[in-house]
Amino acid sequence: MIDVEGLTKRFGRHTAVDSLSFSVAEGRVTGFLGPNGSGKSTTMRCMVGLDHADAGVVRFGGQPYSSLRRPLETVGLLLDASYVHPARTGRNHLRWLAASNGISQSRVDEVLALVGLTDVADKRLRNYSLGMKQRLGLAATMLGDPGVVILDEPANGLDPEGIRWIRDMLRYLASQGRAVLVSSHQLSEMSLMAEDLIVIGRGRLIDQCSVQDFVRRNTTTRVRVRSPQVGEILRQMRTLGATGEYVGDSAVSDTALIAGVSIVTVGETAAKVGAVLHELSEVSESLEDAFLAVTASEQEYRSGGGS
Amino acid sequence: MISVLRAEWIKVRTVRVHWVIVIIAVAFPTVVATLVGVFNPNPEWVASRDVIDLVSGVCVVTLLLLASLWVINLTSEYAHGTIRVSYAAVPARWKVLLGKAIVGTVVTLVVMSTAFWAAWFVGSTILNQRGSSIDLSDLSDQGVAIGGVFPSLLALAVIVSWFALGLGAIIRNSPASVVVVLLWPLLIENLVALALTLAGVESASKWMPYQAAIQAIGDDGWNGDMLGRPAAQLYFGAVALTLLGIGVLLDSRRDA
Repeated sequence: MIDVEGLTKRFGRHTAVDSLSFSVAEGRVTGFLGPNGSGKSTTMRCMVGLDHADAGVVRFGGQPYSSLRRPLETVGLLLDASYVHPARTGRNHLRWLAASNGISQSRVDEVLALVGLTDVADKRLRNYSLGMKQRLGLAATMLGDPGVVILDEPANGLDPEGIRWIRDMLRYLASQGRAVLVSSHQLSEMSLMAEDLIVIGRGRLIDQCSVQDFVRRNTTTRVRVRSPQVGEILRQMRTLGATGEYVGDSAVSDTALIAGVSIVTVGETAAKVGAVLHELSEVSESLEDAFLAVTASEQEYRSGGGS
Repeated sequence: MISVLRAEWIKVRTVRVHWVIVIIAVAFPTVVATLVGVFNPNPEWVASRDVIDLVSGVCVVTLLLLASLWVINLTSEYAHGTIRVSYAAVPARWKVLLGKAIVGTVVTLVVMSTAFWAAWFVGSTILNQRGSSIDLSDLSDQGVAIGGVFPSLLALAVIVSWFALGLGAIIRNSPASVVVVLLWPLLIENLVALALTLAGVESASKWMPYQAAIQAIGDDGWNGDMLGRPAAQLYFGAVALTLLGIGVLLDSRRDA
């Protein structure tokens, strides 16, 4: 269990994290979302004392990070997979890390096997791909068999197989009762990986809820209907207060998207007017749509072009 | 703290460049002693004290190489970001730096001892085969080597290793820190002493910490222009520990 209360971090006049409060539950994967520059990485660094917070408290199972005697046995942390010495081997990187917390050297071999790096464990890290470094970073987080796992962009640099592997791994870790907090820009991946979400913008909390609630609250589910009598259906829907529009040119299109009514209502209305239906389906928007809708006003950096 | 020391020891011994520096640091005095032993035109005139002075002088290179090693060992952590991994694993940052200082001290003592006595052994053996009579059976030579020069050299090497760590923690950049560590004894102190002398300060070089400590290595007795053996080492030791203390303080206050 992670509890963050009133976390604030300033860099000069810029407030990177602004009175941020949230909690991360055990046994669940919690996604940490926010636009670039929203303060996700700073928050994570403040949580473990790498950056000094100006205000606020962070507790892991009721204890601040600085008071943990063997932190790796409570919190597994992967902030950046490139934080390794290139001249060291993967095995030796884990060995010094294990030694720093009194973790047995046999555990190093276990976590190497867990992430599938046993065969390359004695290669120097300068020869590792980014994906291999991500796996090594995940091995490092698991050294102390911690109850909390925090990962910043763990899927960066991974191929599709690697992304699927890390998704399965994080779900597996959560299924063992661990609290897993993971940030990622890959929203489609996050929607498959996370059960809960913490969304921040400009260092402030925007929302904390389940992924499903977040998408439902911040998107509109529409009904797609394809029929030779689509114009009549649209007219009937408007009388019921729904909104609808043709897909493509209204003069020739036989397809419309209708919002504000359920798929059942559209189907029953079509039957009443004797319309032949070629398609009737719900069109749900994605986590990406919900995220972009919510953070539209919270973008620190945005492109100049486009509408 | 034992676990921190174990981690720091693994960090030191698992990077190849550290071993390269150690090998050069040990081999260089031996190579020089060998060359002097082989090519000295009058080996019969060479006394034990001459070999002691030669070896202790050449071991200054060992000392500077070790200083570079400790700078690189620390600043490469900043360069590669592993300092964040270190501080996440050991939130009490002073423990990490203290661990580096302790491991550095022990390794410095072992490497410097090996370098000194290997060079002594090789140099004296070659010279003795060419007609010299060099050994430490003479009590006065024993006193100079074992009681004076050798422990002074060890003390200076340890102090320089703290000094290097302190500078590394303050500067946090490998090339800049190595340059400062090497130029401090070779140039910076001389320039400061020259400036102070031109400004009318008497015996300015006496108060240059590295110069005072290195001159004290071969100092048999008190000389008015020198601080003398224990005082010079204590003075440089205090300067080095102050730098290390500032480094620890800055590191604990900065974001990692």
